[in-house]
Amino acid sequence: MRLWALSIKELLLLSRDWHALGALFIMPGLFLVIMAFAMSAINQDELPAVNLSVDIPNPSPASAFFLAALEKQLPQSQVQADTSTNQITLSPTFAEQLHDNPHQGPKLSFPANSDTLSRQRIRSAVTIALAQTRLWDFLIDSELISDSAPLAEQLQQVQLQTQSELEEYQILSSGAVGNRANASQMSVPAWLIFGMFFIVLPMSNSLQLEFQSGVLVRLRALPLAQSTLLLSKLIPYSLINMLQFVLLFSLGFFALPLLGLPALSIHGNELAYFVLAICITSACCCFGLLIAAVARNTEQALLLSAGSNLILAAIGGIMVPKNMMPISMQHIAELSPMSWALDAFLTLLVGQGELKDIALWCYYLLAFALCTGAAGVILLHRRVQNTLWTTQN
Amino acid sequence: MLELSHLHYRYPDAEQDALVDINFKIQQGQCIGLLGANGAGKTTLLSLIAQLITPSAGQLRWQQQPSLGLVPQTLAFYAKLSSQENLHLFADLYLLKGQQRQQQLSLAIEAAQLESLLHKKAGQLSGGQQRRLNFALGILAPAQLFLFDEVTVGVDSISRQHLLNAIKQLKQSGKSIIYTSHYLPEIEQITERVILLNAGKVQLDIALAEQPSAHNLVIEWTSGIPNELVRLCQQQQLDFQQQHNSLIIHALTQPQWTTLLTHISHTTPAPTRMNYSKPSLEQLYLQVSGGQL
Repeated sequence: MRLWALSIKELLLLSRDWHALGALFIMPGLFLVIMAFAMSAINQDELPAVNLSVDIPNPSPASAFFLAALEKQLPQSQVQADTSTNQITLSPTFAEQLHDNPHQGPKLSFPANSDTLSRQRIRSAVTIALAQTRLWDFLIDSELISDSAPLAEQLQQVQLQTQSELEEYQILSSGAVGNRANASQMSVPAWLIFGMFFIVLPMSNSLQLEFQSGVLVRLRALPLAQSTLLLSKLIPYSLINMLQFVLLFSLGFFALPLLGLPALSIHGNELAYFVLAICITSACCCFGLLIAAVARNTEQALLLSAGSNLILAAIGGIMVPKNMMPISMQHIAELSPMSWALDAFLTLLVGQGELKDIALWCYYLLAFALCTGAAGVILLHRRVQNTLWTTQN
Repeated sequence: MLELSHLHYRYPDAEQDALVDINFKIQQGQCIGLLGANGAGKTTLLSLIAQLITPSAGQLRWQQQPSLGLVPQTLAFYAKLSSQENLHLFADLYLLKGQQRQQQLSLAIEAAQLESLLHKKAGQLSGGQQRRLNFALGILAPAQLFLFDEVTVGVDSISRQHLLNAIKQLKQSGKSIIYTSHYLPEIEQITERVILLNAGKVQLDIALAEQPSAHNLVIEWTSGIPNELVRLCQQQQLDFQQQHNSLIIHALTQPQWTTLLTHISHTTPAPTRMNYSKPSLEQLYLQVSGGQL
């Protein structure tokens, strides 16, 4: 009855604490959306359109075929007559030179703001389109293709000659997969973990308020077992952590596509996600106990909670993806529990792994929970034992 | 109901005991006033009785299972919960059920006059109202011994009298009470026994009914205290003080008073004012504690 009453009280207090609710739900939710937008150009499932202009000084059937083949290679690309964009210039003797060996291809011009990926895509597309045009020319000469057939049909016949079926296999959940994660796969788990660790803030604050007021004296004189007191914090805050997990995952799943971002595709079995959520929750709540035990007042609790969370997030690949860090920083990142949680999430989301694939990170998180929880319980026990009748005399 | 026997307490790393050889009993239905200057050991003694700490030596012997109701000086409730939510939470924590729960809640709400404040957040109450809620949460406990620490600080005079009456009712219903306050007339009003702590020791443990029968005498003259009267006080080895044109004589017995009165009637100039009265608790406290408050 006491545990139930104290747990309900904790949830009631939290529901009236707008700052804590903001830190637990609104802040990570906003970060999730903003960072998903900010990272939306990275690892997209569909590559963005490339703007380019094609200069054809001497139009011919060969140049028309080349243009059709090029557009096939760069779907949704916008061919413009704008010289400030990526430019392909065919020579006036483009059709006559197709048989030359070595062959001189078109001239490529890139403006300074053209990114590396776009340049590479244009180079590859021009190379393939040019090879197909040269093959087309050979097939026309050999009368294997009729030049009176529609251009689309001619292109299709050439593609049949040049296309091969490739067998492609994914070796799932092997190694670091962060560099393959798209914006949603990176942002949703990263800011979910960040938000879950912020449970430390209201949890430590709640205990500090009880220490600072006379409530703890009243509770101790009931007498209330310390295990009941600790469980009355751990149970409600664990539930809040699980609620965060569900809500922020739902945000990634349902809301991001509405904003034009890729939806979070959830792979793997549900059990693995549930176990991972339990492990992260354990790590967060036990860390909260430690912070509550170390802080001496609400101001210190705020500083320690927010400070430690920001540091763990900064080194743990939450703010900057680990694959963008130098090797030395990547090694340091391995020390952060947020990094373990994120790696486990990416293994499930990107590597399509299963429970056994994330077991190591789950063990790490549970070990972290055990160490911080044990230290927190010992230090809190001492503090509670040293709580005296408080007077202002 | 509770006996403290040769009780000592020393804080970790302290060089001397905070409490030294404390011995007293609290009977059922007894109300004890606990007095002492800052640092005298009141907090330590209350912490020991509330079982927040364990004694370094000696014993606290309870006749029955200890059951305590506390009203600490610091506000011991949740500011973001309403008065009613706080009361129901602590009723749950005191494991109150059924009719007893209703009775205790009604008693506490009535005693602290909280009827119109039940739905207000505790943190939004005025200072005095918060003290009343703090009081209500303490007397809500189905306890045998209640510890009250400066419960009337910041409470208006009408509410204060209401709280004191509630404490008297608790006493009448057989509950034991330890009451600390720096406002000594309150202690005189509700307690029948006073324990004065000084430097961790019980300096005075007295039933107010047994307060010494000796009286204090204050005599005033318009111009100077007659020398022969000062000499008489010295000869009689009386406890006296001279203040400007006033002579204050403490702990005067009936025979001493008679002798002194005879001399005063033959002394010139005659005094302008004389006050012969039993000392108040405050005067007694100042006398015993050497003027330390």
